[in-house]
Amino acid sequence: MSTPLLEVEALEVRYHTVPALRGVSLTVGANEAVALLGANGAGKSTLMKSIIGLVRPAAGRILLDGRPLGMLRADRRARLGIGYCPEGRRTFPGLTVRENLAVACWGSAREREHRIAAMFALFPVLGQRAATRAWQLSGGQQQMLAVGRSLMDAPRLLLLDEPSLGLSPRLTDEVLGQIPAIVAGGTSVLLAEQNAAKALAVCTRAVVLKLGQVVASGKAADLAASDEVRAAFLGG
Amino acid sequence: MAASQLLLEVLALGAAYALVALGFVLILNATGAVNFSQGDMVMAGGFGAVVLANALHVPGLVLLPLLLVGMAALGVVVAVAAYLPLRRRPPDAVFISTIAVGIILQNAANHLFGAEPMAAPPLLSAGRVRFAGIEVSIQSLAIIGVAALLIVGLQVLFVHTQFGRRLRATAQDREVAMAIGIPVDRMVVVTFAIGAALAGAAGLLLANAFFVTPTAGADYMVKAYIAVVIGGWGSIPGAVAGALLIAAFEVLYPSLPLLIPALLRMPQSDAVFSQTTSTIMLDVAVLIILVARPGGLFGEAVRQRP
Amino acid sequence: MRGWHIRGWRVRGWHIRRWQTPFARVGVGLPLAVIAIVVAAFGLSHASDYALRVLSVAGIYALLALGYGFIFGQAGALSLAQGTFMGVGAYVSGILAVRYGIGFDAALPASVGLPVVLALLVAIPVLRLQTHYFALATLLIGQIILLVVTQWESVTGGANGIGGVPPLSLLGHVIEGRLPALLLVWALVAAGGLLAWQITRGRLGDAFAVLRTHPVVARAVGIDTGLLRLTAFLLSAAYAGLAGSLYVHAIGVLSPDILGFPVMVTCLTIAVVGSRLRVTGAIAGAVLIIELPEWARFLRDDYLLAFGCILLLVVVALPGGLIEAAEWLLGRVWVAPPVAPRPPLVPLPAAVSMCRSPASDSMLLEVSGLSVRFGGVHALDAVSIRVRAGEVLGLIGPNGSGKTTLVNAVTGIYPPGAGRVVLAGREIAGNTPHAIARLGVARTFQAAALVPEMSALDNVAVARGAADVGLGRALLVGLRDSGRRRARAEAMALLERMGAAQHAAAPAGTLPPGIARLVEIARALASAPRLLLLDEPAAGLNGTEQADLARRLRSIADGGVGLLVIEHNMQFLVPLADRMACLDYGKLIAAGTPAEVQADPRVIEAYLGAPAVPT
Repeated sequence: MSTPLLEVEALEVRYHTVPALRGVSLTVGANEAVALLGANGAGKSTLMKSIIGLVRPAAGRILLDGRPLGMLRADRRARLGIGYCPEGRRTFPGLTVRENLAVACWGSAREREHRIAAMFALFPVLGQRAATRAWQLSGGQQQMLAVGRSLMDAPRLLLLDEPSLGLSPRLTDEVLGQIPAIVAGGTSVLLAEQNAAKALAVCTRAVVLKLGQVVASGKAADLAASDEVRAAFLGG
Repeated sequence: MAASQLLLEVLALGAAYALVALGFVLILNATGAVNFSQGDMVMAGGFGAVVLANALHVPGLVLLPLLLVGMAALGVVVAVAAYLPLRRRPPDAVFISTIAVGIILQNAANHLFGAEPMAAPPLLSAGRVRFAGIEVSIQSLAIIGVAALLIVGLQVLFVHTQFGRRLRATAQDREVAMAIGIPVDRMVVVTFAIGAALAGAAGLLLANAFFVTPTAGADYMVKAYIAVVIGGWGSIPGAVAGALLIAAFEVLYPSLPLLIPALLRMPQSDAVFSQTTSTIMLDVAVLIILVARPGGLFGEAVRQRP
Repeated sequence: MRGWHIRGWRVRGWHIRRWQTPFARVGVGLPLAVIAIVVAAFGLSHASDYALRVLSVAGIYALLALGYGFIFGQAGALSLAQGTFMGVGAYVSGILAVRYGIGFDAALPASVGLPVVLALLVAIPVLRLQTHYFALATLLIGQIILLVVTQWESVTGGANGIGGVPPLSLLGHVIEGRLPALLLVWALVAAGGLLAWQITRGRLGDAFAVLRTHPVVARAVGIDTGLLRLTAFLLSAAYAGLAGSLYVHAIGVLSPDILGFPVMVTCLTIAVVGSRLRVTGAIAGAVLIIELPEWARFLRDDYLLAFGCILLLVVVALPGGLIEAAEWLLGRVWVAPPVAPRPPLVPLPAAVSMCRSPASDSMLLEVSGLSVRFGGVHALDAVSIRVRAGEVLGLIGPNGSGKTTLVNAVTGIYPPGAGRVVLAGREIAGNTPHAIARLGVARTFQAAALVPEMSALDNVAVARGAADVGLGRALLVGLRDSGRRRARAEAMALLERMGAAQHAAAPAGTLPPGIARLVEIARALASAPRLLLLDEPAAGLNGTEQADLARRLRSIADGGVGLLVIEHNMQFLVPLADRMACLDYGKLIAAGTPAEVQADPRVIEAYLGAPAVPT
């Protein structure tokens, strides 16, 4: 069995003295989509930020292709092949759609054009608004832009942090519905979501976080059928 | 006749102020921080030009690249000493640290050169030309030319190069910029280097037209600050527009009695229309703008969603 | 009555630590003052005239820095006009003395009053500006005054100034000799320092702490931030005016140099080096900075260069200033055993009065057709909800649906674009946040916004009677500060009510998020609100804690308070809420009993959505 793409081992993160993640472990293999589920405050965003390096763990390790990331800065980790789509979209407001995409690509000009065209194929509405400044886009369009931006450097691992935030169900479907295509294109996905049903529908495996700890993990289909997950979100 | 002469004066002075404001707004755009030492960097550039000219005896155009390199090095030092250690602190920390840098530069210059005004060599030559009935110094034309070149160059940099786009991205969301691979700290240092180089160019040009003293920087600083505020915080075209507006005011206000002879009959008209009163009027006008429309005349460049 | 103990917990960040030892409470000031007096007693009689003059100037700058501490330290606003105020005071006093023969003390109402009037005129339009605009505005005012003074030769002597300013005089007696003048200056410094300490040591100081850390929270708690900043600005101008008038009589010459930027730089350096939040800092900093060029002769000509280097070094390496660094150092060396604080003088009230109007079932909050737009986006679109007194309304909806925006609009942070907000029959849309807070509306924030360096207890106490906190009361506060003790006792009762009493003495920055949330709710209750708006109160709490919180919230509602609770956690919200409403995309899509809302198909679609079609 080959080394998984991403391995998180017994990760502990604290904000001052407050524990946000306690002994969290998970793996993401090549060509798979893993859902990271949990309520608000469960620690999903903290875990994502630790993987990309915006937050330093107090204990534990993160390995990419078997290689520990250690104290590597965020920009170095991004260049190693980790794409990050942050919570709340966070597109660059003063840059146009095309510029938002362009800044994230580190290849040649030709590769850049190629990737931008690919993103426009994935999300056609972006192609229609290529010269619009990001702050003028609607929430859904910004989300698509953020996802597109995180794919521009052809990452091997894509971290998607709550893409459904503030999106209508239909738009959520549009965005999440592209995940299988992304995986087929060679990028593994770790998807953090509150919207459990939609996330489980597009992922093969899932991990459930509660108050900073892993409380369940397994195949997506199994968890979708479980009452536990249902109860965790809607109660009763 | 007099009108076009005045217009050219406004352009030349406005171009000079625009050069100072450009470095300021560049650093502001890339870091979100106010560089209070920008004016003193211009002064340092002026003195640097004087020193180089005394050592090398070549025209200004040859000195320019050397000066730019030297000033870029100064920019790197300022970034490392006064900005990078403070990047996680509230904004007034960088304000204070750059005030300190400005004081250091000003007093180091005073220590090294004394308070006597000094002149740098002209960029091209010291003559004057005549066209379309206007007489103008070649240096003024050089200032306008260099400023126009640099303004266009900066726009091109920001809009048409990856580096410039990444600079803007860093200013708008530093954390996300890091997460997509942009080496943010390196960007900031390069920005300070470019900003300082721009200040150096401004210093070289201004030290010939206006002489340079250790205290000259403070005046340029206030002008650049005003230009950026009234032009819209963070906007490059706005900063240029602001610089031109200030120049227009400074040239036209004392010239009002020339344009409207009736004003000469006002009591104490020479005091009312002096340079000093003109500065007072400018400051009052800016205060009114600050109170009435703090976003500047054209609105702030980067809008945030609440 | 329970006592509470200071625990010895280890935290990172020395700025939190300093609250833990009684030594830090006493501060470095007392030992320094003792040393200074001893040195002075031995040294002054042998000192030269020149040395005495330098020490006088140090005292004058101490006064200037003490004043600056109000606006720059307490209010946290970078004003660059402090030197200008000093100059104005100097010019008024100097001109009155030389041209009209009015002595230093008789001129004080003008030399202190005029800077204050100037500050008042300037403050009203300019104080509310953000940092980078406020700094420029104060800079420009300084420049204007400097230029006006140098132009107005007939009155001010122009660029040359006026010579022959008589020495200080008190009640007609001229104070001859450097030593008596020095003693007068330092007597005023002592008085000024005591006044500054008195003003900031009590609840007004706590209010300032909230103001500079979280201005939005300060307003939400009922603190009039505009008035507080104005008070700080006027105080700084008054101290500066006094310093200026002392200066001109001590030096004997009036020159426009006093209005120049170097004076402002010196003041800023002193404040930063000496710790801007400490009275001791202003005084010790002034002595250090003014004496420095004397001790290091080679610095004399380039003293400004030295100041610049020191300023840079301190800002980068020792952000709190020397005095705070010294306190931390001593705190590490001298760790005191745990101390049980003295019990409050005022007996704990049996039940802290919670609600204003005991009328139950009356319509408390009526929001009709409320719309809020940001640019072209409708964050809220014609939303109408109602909350009755004694009722709990649960507000749910996906992230970004406008729940927090609704609370912000009701509390006055966002002005509504359209629609009405009526509180107990009174239209409140468009009111300022602190006015709305004082009408009986309290809230918590999504990220618990407590002041990290203050204890949990003080965070709550600062909200208790926030409307009463002002300059007048601060001046009258006795050594025992009965107002604060009462506020603290009542805050303690509130913490007990929320089940967080055992954390009362802990600095708020060290609390786990669940506890911090409870403290925040206690703070919201401190203003005895009629309407309580809670933003995700259960986030970060485990099952037991959630049930506990639900019980407590229920009892608050039973006391007559209307509650609006934003939550994602259905397990927590459904048993608690009397009624629920669901927002989606800024619109109200369902309202009714919890059962009705939970079963509403639109709600289910908004939250869970139909599962995405897998490819």
